[in-house]
Amino acid sequence: MILKIALKELKEIVREGRFRITAITLFALLLAALFVSKSYYTSVNAQHSEAKKNARSEWVEQGQKNPHSAAHYGTYAFKPKYPLSLIDNGVDKYTGVSIYLEAHKRNEAQYAAAQDQTALSRFGDLTPDFVLIFIVPLFIILIGFNAFTRERESGTLRLLKSQGVSTWKLTMGKWLGLFLPVLLIAIPVYVLAALFLANIKDYGQFSLWALTLLFGVYLIYYAVFINITLFVSSHFKKSNVAFVTLLGIWMVSCLAMPKISTAIADKLYPYPTQVEFEEQIAVDKKKGLDGHNPWNTEAKKLEEETLKKYGVDSVQQLPFNWDGFLMQEGEKHTADIYFKHYQLLKDTYVNQTNVYRSTAALSPFLPTRFLSMAICRTDYTSHWDFANAAENYRIELVGKMNGDMAANSKYGDWDYLADDKLWSSVPDFQYEPASYTTVIRQNTSNLITLLAWLLLSFAALYGAVTKMKTI
Amino acid sequence: MLNHAIKYEWLNLLRDRWVMILLILFLGITVFAVRNGKEKVEDRMATITKEKEKMVKLDRKMAADIDSLNKNLKPAPEAWKDPRALDNIGWNAPRVVAMDAQPLAVISTGQSDLFTHYAKPKIYGEAYTLGFSELSNPVQLLFGSFDLAFVCIYLLPLLVLGFSYNVLSSEKESGVLRLTLAQPISLYQWLFGKLLLRFFILTSIVVASILFSLTIFDIDWLGNRGAATKLILLVTVYIFFWFLISFLINLLGNSSGSNAVTLIAVWVVFVLLIPSIISQTANSFYPVPSRTIMIHEYREAKALAEKKADEILKTYYREHPEYAPKDTTQQNQYSWWLGNFAASDVINQSVQPVLDDYNEALNKQQSWVNRLRFLSPAILLQDGLNDLAGTSPAHYTDFRDQVIAFADTWRHYFIPRMFNNEKMQAEDFGSLPTHSYSSAQVPSHYPADLMGLLFFLTLTVAGSVWVYRRNSFENVLSV
Repeated sequence: MILKIALKELKEIVREGRFRITAITLFALLLAALFVSKSYYTSVNAQHSEAKKNARSEWVEQGQKNPHSAAHYGTYAFKPKYPLSLIDNGVDKYTGVSIYLEAHKRNEAQYAAAQDQTALSRFGDLTPDFVLIFIVPLFIILIGFNAFTRERESGTLRLLKSQGVSTWKLTMGKWLGLFLPVLLIAIPVYVLAALFLANIKDYGQFSLWALTLLFGVYLIYYAVFINITLFVSSHFKKSNVAFVTLLGIWMVSCLAMPKISTAIADKLYPYPTQVEFEEQIAVDKKKGLDGHNPWNTEAKKLEEETLKKYGVDSVQQLPFNWDGFLMQEGEKHTADIYFKHYQLLKDTYVNQTNVYRSTAALSPFLPTRFLSMAICRTDYTSHWDFANAAENYRIELVGKMNGDMAANSKYGDWDYLADDKLWSSVPDFQYEPASYTTVIRQNTSNLITLLAWLLLSFAALYGAVTKMKTI
Repeated sequence: MLNHAIKYEWLNLLRDRWVMILLILFLGITVFAVRNGKEKVEDRMATITKEKEKMVKLDRKMAADIDSLNKNLKPAPEAWKDPRALDNIGWNAPRVVAMDAQPLAVISTGQSDLFTHYAKPKIYGEAYTLGFSELSNPVQLLFGSFDLAFVCIYLLPLLVLGFSYNVLSSEKESGVLRLTLAQPISLYQWLFGKLLLRFFILTSIVVASILFSLTIFDIDWLGNRGAATKLILLVTVYIFFWFLISFLINLLGNSSGSNAVTLIAVWVVFVLLIPSIISQTANSFYPVPSRTIMIHEYREAKALAEKKADEILKTYYREHPEYAPKDTTQQNQYSWWLGNFAASDVINQSVQPVLDDYNEALNKQQSWVNRLRFLSPAILLQDGLNDLAGTSPAHYTDFRDQVIAFADTWRHYFIPRMFNNEKMQAEDFGSLPTHSYSSAQVPSHYPADLMGLLFFLTLTVAGSVWVYRRNSFENVLSV
């Protein structure tokens, strides 16, 4: 029975010009988005590997230098782009792509694409996620808003009742009638995406499992929208009112809620400005050990301690180059300061994330958005993870430079030069993203919220249709 | 007769609770949006003020220190701390070059959440390394802010459509249309009159809400009547455009449901699809050149120049004999800096082509996108609002140029004095170069944006006339 109703609904929907036009448009948009994203992805990846190669050769071929000067010269860490970013580019446009790694300083990722683009880019790009997350729900509303109101307006609902069809079965039939067209569009896109991704050279991190998970998330999201659509359609007498109401719901959950949540998060847990942040770090740095300033109080203290430890009375007598040692101690100290302040920043970010997680109860868009970005590794958490890895690499690199200077040169001998043997002994920066288990664990709350949306909207629909009046 | 019909329409609307709900809803949304904008602008100005106060305080302290050092009231500090040394002033007491908010900055966040609004250029440093990116949660940037621009671009059209989509169809569906048309009245005049009435009501609500919100948040729109008028004009034309679209769709004579669907489709196309398609194709056809590659080229050029620094410096002095040390018997205390300046000048010259290439590619993309903005009224409105708010990309590019220019001024204040081996005096703080922000030289997009919107209006009117000519009267009447 349910299947029969579903097929009848499907037939009706497919026969309608409105469906055909929108479905074809939707499909074309998704295809276009996929192709455009693919070419973008390929070119960005080519740039990335070229830049990476350049950075490495710059580092290795920098010529003879004092190791500490080499640490100042520094190198770059580049954020890799993952295959699934082709589906959802997430916040990648707003985070920088490269981090400059140098002595004494932790830098923020630089050169976010959005900064070089026009204000137009703030409207959003035609990427698959844009179609999947904004347009498909609209499509569901468009084909489903009159699912019940139409029957009611034409009086067929009463006829159906008199035939003895249970309203729940009718609802399930209509539900499937909406879900099948969505599936009809989603499946080819899924298959195409899988083919695309599998054919990308050096696709490294791509796993079919993740893509499937991503589509699973989107299907749950669509199911929620189908529930809401049918709920509203069963509630109102007139199609017009149902349509306007659904549109309002779409607008609030997809357009307004993300922005309202942002306003709340920003109000409750404001980010420091770049300058405030830098100043707080500078204050802490001033208080502590300065590797370049041996007259610094902390440096004097360290000197006394070290001399005592080695039982000598001047830094010249130490078995290593005091300058290199001091610089490394200073480096450790600044690294700690950066760690502390970035931890504070991270706390703010976690607090803001929690705001989004609580407002997700008001909009199914939010948990879907966050899950989608997380699975595609284009969320803010992934960026943090990369930035932390780059920082660890920086500490290691600078440590190696200072260590070499301490071990192989004499105090005051700033003419000591190391060469490419030392440079190439530093391993190239390699970054392994967090495992999917970690990603899922970090997003449990989003997953739960989305599932809660699914269950509650089903329950609401069930409640509404069982009490539904036929007139 | 027409007056009569419109009068009843007015009474009808007046008794409709929807008008009241609309009024309250829109007012609430506008107040919230302006509040968000105000908060951002206040933060921005507070930071700038704080920085400037800090600068003044430091100046005063340094001037006092110089005074007591000159009077030998204090022991001389280490050279790198001595406030009498010009390099220490140039390095440690930079001026705050700030981008003050425009009077109407609250209306549109624009690009303001991406960039910092001030910089402190020092006597030494490379222009390209001057950071302007603001620290922010990229999720917030992705979601965007709930500002007046968002309300106008996205929500207003939906309000217009909700207010007008069934203006003809509902009359037809309820059978009132036949009765109305039994009167000596022209259908089109009557329909247009109905829409015009709604347009006036909605526009009044919108304008009143905007002005009310600006007033309660202390935005001096009366003092900036020009900009405020431009804002109202732009928004009004945008509203009118959507009413005309609704008029056009109503003329087609379809059912209310079908009208609603068509109008939403038009909204999706203009507000969501066209902007995102243009934005995406711009990235594909005119990709922003890779910054990472630019950095590499920059570093290579720099390394090369550094290798030859000594040689370069000699030629430099040959070309600038005025900079060469004159009195060789007396050691210039700034000699290290002077060498450094000369070297960095040369390096900057040699890397300039890299930067120029990059900027040219960037300009190409931006001018392409700028031309394509005429494809959607939503983009035009966004562009116009950013222009009025002073938050458009052009404003930020211009500010960066101003900072770079000021960095040069700052350096060139010190260089001749350093060559003369002068010292900083307490009274010199008054004569240090200062920067005052002006956006006057940013070419305004506003007139073109307004013209673009008017062009869309004309297009819709032409469309309506065409539909009117093609559609027979019976067609409209048939249910």
